[in-house]
Amino acid sequence: MAGRAPDPGFFIGYLNSVPRSLAIFLVVGAALFVGGMAGLAFALGTNANDPGDGAFARKLGKQEMTGVLLEKPYPILRVRPDANNPEPRTVMLTVPGKRSVERRGKKFFGQVVDVKGFMFQRGDIDMLQIQGKKSLQAAEAGEGEPPPAYTPAPAESLGRWRLIGEICDSKCHLGAMRPGDGLAHKACANLCISSGAPPIFVTQEEGAVAGETFLLLADEEGGPLPDSFRDYVAILVQLEGEVERLDDLLVFKVDIDRARVF
Amino acid sequence: MPVGWNRNKIIYDVVLLAAVVAYILLFIKIAPSFQDVTRPTTGIILRIQAFGTCAFLMLSFILCIGPLARLDRRFLPLLYNRRHFGVITCAVAFTHASQVVSIYFSFSPLDKYVAVLASNTSYDRFLGFPFETFGIFALFLLLVLAATSHDFWLRFLTPPIWKAIHISIYVAYAAIVCHIVLGSLLSKQSPLLAVIVGLSVVAVTGLHLVAGRIERQKDRSTAEDADETPWVMAGHVDDIADGRGIVVALEEGERVAVFRYGDKLSALANVCAHQNGPLGEGRIVDGYVTCPWHGFQYRPGDGCSPPPFTEKAATYRLRLDGQRILLDPRPNEPGTYVEPVRVTPTRETEA
Repeated sequence: MAGRAPDPGFFIGYLNSVPRSLAIFLVVGAALFVGGMAGLAFALGTNANDPGDGAFARKLGKQEMTGVLLEKPYPILRVRPDANNPEPRTVMLTVPGKRSVERRGKKFFGQVVDVKGFMFQRGDIDMLQIQGKKSLQAAEAGEGEPPPAYTPAPAESLGRWRLIGEICDSKCHLGAMRPGDGLAHKACANLCISSGAPPIFVTQEEGAVAGETFLLLADEEGGPLPDSFRDYVAILVQLEGEVERLDDLLVFKVDIDRARVF
Repeated sequence: MPVGWNRNKIIYDVVLLAAVVAYILLFIKIAPSFQDVTRPTTGIILRIQAFGTCAFLMLSFILCIGPLARLDRRFLPLLYNRRHFGVITCAVAFTHASQVVSIYFSFSPLDKYVAVLASNTSYDRFLGFPFETFGIFALFLLLVLAATSHDFWLRFLTPPIWKAIHISIYVAYAAIVCHIVLGSLLSKQSPLLAVIVGLSVVAVTGLHLVAGRIERQKDRSTAEDADETPWVMAGHVDDIADGRGIVVALEEGERVAVFRYGDKLSALANVCAHQNGPLGEGRIVDGYVTCPWHGFQYRPGDGCSPPPFTEKAATYRLRLDGQRILLDPRPNEPGTYVEPVRVTPTRETEA
């Protein structure tokens, strides 16, 4: 086809010559485009909400705990006090990936077990990711000692509460992902909870119940939530139910189908 | 060759890639140092946000190119290689999606692609609606458009079908806006993103409305009937500069490009056979009517592209009544030779 530019201002892409005035316009436009994209990247990249202080606390090293493994509402460990941690505590449990502790733990539910793994921590709530060989097994007695036994304190009722907040999956919210909440994370949270991660209720008001912001969710009978929980994850909802204290962990027993969406 | 690689296309792509690389690097490497957060956003989530917002901005810009080129001819070079812009945007969007799948939907007992569709099924709700569906739909459209962007598909599908398919870019844009609104903006996590999405929607719709209004005005001023049927008034000889054309709107909604080259006048359909570009806004280059979009060329006499090209445009009969140009609005078969009308130069045009 043609081999020369016809007149100033008319651009033909396959001709290498570009009219000078047009070339200046295009160079300035290209610089503005690249610069504008860079500016927008910086503006959007710095305009982030604080995803919180949740983290996979690998720096704490591998943790070892002994306690009673409970199945409901979700796998938790009522940790036996020891010299390092004289106060009894309750730790939510998980395993690597979006999977349930149940497969590894079902033969130990209700028993005293030794567990090993790494902690997720956010504020004053934590979770143990059971990890490694022989990381979940029946508690071993020391030589010449009786089999380990531990009877956790019974649940303490804190009465009925009506709370506003967001349902999150504990693992992501405690640091597996930052941010581990919000609508963008909803499907992930649904998948995590469906796969066995304990759901937690994060109250809108910080420290809303006995100074705690994070409550483990259960149905009204103390079992896992029904599948209808999925409709209420990652959005602001009001839930009503009884709150129980298990050592340092609060459990919020609710009828999820009576959740009120804001 | 009009559709092969050339220096201008390479420069175009280099600028695009520079913009994408600058965007991604600034977003994931520099900006986090300036965030006011307790702990930084997880790396892969930062990349998801970077690639997602980058794809949206690129698509917004792509959709502005068309009307901008209608309003200011200096933007026409951006139109020339717009398909590469689209393919790169598709690649950026695909990267966003693949990272979403690799972190949000992996590591569970469920297959990750099943998990994408099964994890959130709250389709009966506004808050918490599975916004991923809009993203998947938009990505599907972008992939189809990218895969069929080559001129092979344009010839294979024929321009009308190809154009009809590629108009779905607007559907993809609307789906992406829904994807962002339902997935991010309703969480009120980034007021700035809300502002940018709003500006994008205003810019894309506003520019199209303005450009469309101008085009409608052109269509409304249709050629008047001449004294003798079927001829219509196409203009005045002095209205057309040498080497240029004018566009004549007919009552049937058709447009005809009337070109002057030296002392000759010829008329072709205003629609380029390549991508429906406006031939009448082109130029005569080396004796050929040249489309302003991609430089496709046609002989003014018979509307045929020079060998080896096979594109053809419909031709129209012209005649002169003094200095008035009369046009027969009945198109000839594309490629039909029509003897050009010879004009007598006036003093004004000689000068």
